[in-house]
Amino acid sequence: MNLSLPRSTAHLLRLLILGAAALAPVLAAAGMGRGFNQLLDSVVRIDVREVDYDGGARRFQASIGSGVLLSSDGLVLTNAHVASPRAVEITITLASLERVGARLVGWDHWTDLALLRLDMGEVRRRRLKLTHGEFGDSDRLFPGETVYAVGTPFGLTRTVTRGIISNSNRYFEDDNGVNGYETGAFNTWLQTDAAINPGNSGGPLVTEDGRIVGITSRGYLGANNLGFAIPANVAKGIVAGLVQTGTITRSYVGIVPKALQDFEGFYALALDTGMLIDSVDPGSPAARAGLLGGDVLLAINGRKVDGRFPEQLPPIQNLIASQPVGSVLVLTLKRGTRVSDASVVTERLESSMGEESVLDAWGLSVRKVSRTFARENQLPDDTGVLVIGIHPGFPADAAGIQAGDLVTKINEKPLTSIDVVNQAQAAYAAKPGPTLLETVRDRRVSLYILKP
Amino acid sequence: MMPVSGRRAAALFIILAAACRMRGADIPALLAERVRSVVAVEYFTETESERRTTVAYGTVIDDRGTIILPPGAIDGHVPPAQLKDFKVFVPGDPSNGAGTYLGQDAYTGWHFVRADEKIRERLVPVTRFAAARHAPVPVLGDEVWGIGLRPLEEDFMPYYLGSHLALVQSLPQLTGEAQQEVAGPGLPVFNRDGVLVGLGLNSGGQPYVLYSQANRGGAPVYLVDVEESSLFLLAGEVLPYLNRIPGRVDGRPLAWLGADGLAPMDRDVADFLKLGGHSGAVVSEVLEGSPAERAGMKDHDIIIAIDGSPLPVFRPTRYVTEYVDREVERRRPGDVMTLTVLRGSERLTLMATLGDQPTLIREAKRKYFDRIGFTAREFVYGDAVDRRTRVVNSAGVIVHYVKPNTPASIAGLEPDDWIKDIDGVAVRSFADAVDKLSAIEFDPLRSEFVLLVSRGGDTAVLHVKLK
Repeated sequence: MNLSLPRSTAHLLRLLILGAAALAPVLAAAGMGRGFNQLLDSVVRIDVREVDYDGGARRFQASIGSGVLLSSDGLVLTNAHVASPRAVEITITLASLERVGARLVGWDHWTDLALLRLDMGEVRRRRLKLTHGEFGDSDRLFPGETVYAVGTPFGLTRTVTRGIISNSNRYFEDDNGVNGYETGAFNTWLQTDAAINPGNSGGPLVTEDGRIVGITSRGYLGANNLGFAIPANVAKGIVAGLVQTGTITRSYVGIVPKALQDFEGFYALALDTGMLIDSVDPGSPAARAGLLGGDVLLAINGRKVDGRFPEQLPPIQNLIASQPVGSVLVLTLKRGTRVSDASVVTERLESSMGEESVLDAWGLSVRKVSRTFARENQLPDDTGVLVIGIHPGFPADAAGIQAGDLVTKINEKPLTSIDVVNQAQAAYAAKPGPTLLETVRDRRVSLYILKP
Repeated sequence: MMPVSGRRAAALFIILAAACRMRGADIPALLAERVRSVVAVEYFTETESERRTTVAYGTVIDDRGTIILPPGAIDGHVPPAQLKDFKVFVPGDPSNGAGTYLGQDAYTGWHFVRADEKIRERLVPVTRFAAARHAPVPVLGDEVWGIGLRPLEEDFMPYYLGSHLALVQSLPQLTGEAQQEVAGPGLPVFNRDGVLVGLGLNSGGQPYVLYSQANRGGAPVYLVDVEESSLFLLAGEVLPYLNRIPGRVDGRPLAWLGADGLAPMDRDVADFLKLGGHSGAVVSEVLEGSPAERAGMKDHDIIIAIDGSPLPVFRPTRYVTEYVDREVERRRPGDVMTLTVLRGSERLTLMATLGDQPTLIREAKRKYFDRIGFTAREFVYGDAVDRRTRVVNSAGVIVHYVKPNTPASIAGLEPDDWIKDIDGVAVRSFADAVDKLSAIEFDPLRSEFVLLVSRGGDTAVLHVKLK
């Protein structure tokens, strides 16, 4: 489920201007009010140039997405898979066809949302008029309700497509759905049949009165009109958090949930009670508190949970995630016939994707092993960097290092942070000489020499 | 190049002429004799769901009808109990005799099969064609020849293959490579006098670049000839080991060191570590409770010498790990192996008393449950290693096989899943699991049960519905 990656080229740009000019009168004729016109004026096109680490060298790639202006001080909401910290240049094209630079305020891959801020100095200098959209209440949407998706599919600026809400509470989770980052564990999604194509990403899903009820995010590739959007009520909280601190911090205890569905009989539970714990992450707070796969979670801090169906899992996960890091949670658990309480202290939730770096002198791009990555891959700890790209003909390639290798030591020094790696490379660049790398691949430890 | 004097040239001419005459006269006769040392062996591998036929070529090594098959002829992971109905075919004859599987030798990798009396008298051991004392070592350019066998439907008709020796390499055994194919894999190779000079190996892949209108070249593809080979072990690597006939079908006793995941190093690394023109092998993991652990070996130690001899440099360098493995395999449990290891800048000498291999996966007990649709297998030492768990506190059973479209497969059970709980109760042992699963399997009123399995470090609760 991942069609709506940003569009890479804008070969159809020439056609756009005509379409944009003709839109407003048509809508007025269709009986849609001022609210809708105002919304149209708040939808923007986003051109992003970002670093691509995959090739073992610092390369750039361009992509196009959509976004919506949220405030008169230049906040633009879009998808995390459109604008991420990898972005080096973000250009916004307003409805007035004026182009303005922007910067990333913050992003949250779990909900696939990113917040940008226009260069307000430039906006004022050029006396640009900003029109912004308003959020609606996504909880009040019902299946069958008419909605419109507005965005820049395939670079076609301000394309409006119409459909209905197909399902207002769709569950899906993807471990690498946002450019390799996890998404979907803490919210459900709106499903719509409004046509959504690559480039629609980050554009608003709106009701007839022009209220933003969702942010269009993705669709099934090869399916007919199965599109998905982040509900506005989720987005409101994320926007508030990103404006405040530039990041969304979540709590983590380390339980992997599973819908109980027809397990109630086996676990001797009343209907609509409890959530099955499918797995407990090794070394996590839950594991330390003695939780095991197969336990049933009945309540969190005395609040009963109901995880009978998959779409009921994100709210339960979000209940845990929304606690401040370091909170004590009392989990009521059922194991066999016994019911007991366990206290866990939450940790900060971390992605499996660590910090990335390009080591130009060696022709090597790497990603730091995070705690989560180490756990998922059964590594003893988070020492090391994962090789994600090799530049052919450079020292790393010549030595025989491959993408997927885990570099654990350089000249006998354990790689505990990305800085250690960067410093080692800087030392090499200043004075190239044989450098010993220790790598692990499929648990096999190998040694390599990088040399000029 | 040296100038060749008139006399030497004449002498050379005479020898060449003699060789030509010999070949013209003798090869058919030599082949007719030597074809009695080669056989085709057919067997079945019987698993829960299928019965698979395999045909391999073998060489007769003694008067008792003992036959060696090359290492790849039988999958080493298959329990010997699943290998059935060995048949021995004499080339060019549709009749056949029964064979008995004797087991695999760890050092040579050969599988040993013994032909029954009926066919035994028609076989001639290849040792009859070996040199009395030292096996002749062919030199580059020497003529070498052997026998190939046509497929079963052509009654394994023998045919002549001949070429010249092009290259000898240490991999780590001395291996000859002829210009063209000289024998079926597992069949003997002779010189022009008909003296045994080697034993055919599996063919190495030959890289070819495919060109077509759609594909303008690119990465080479490797073509492997499965019927004929140009590679052979020199006779000196074969004859001394023909007496390694396993006493037991499981091939035990098997020597065990427990230095796991040996990795080779290239010359740059060896130079950096100042190994003085020798090589080393990195030990990725020292296994729990192993002889290596008891000897004080640590993860990431680099083995640089065995019994005082530094590890040689092979071309390609990667063959050093096979060299170390073979040094262990040729020994017996109880033998002491002196290992020199490099740890950081320290050189240490470790004395390891080799142990007996812990139970192998192919030796693990297993039981198939037809109604549920899977085979449970005993949890053995290697399972604990694979799953990075302590051996001492490992319980449960491993899923060896899942039959498609059965309750187990519909519930999402997968091969290699580690079953930890059955119906919410921890599995203590293989026998315990068999008891629990049998009770479910044979209870007609049972409609469902629940498994907790571990898979890649995570667990999953699976709901198996029997109706």
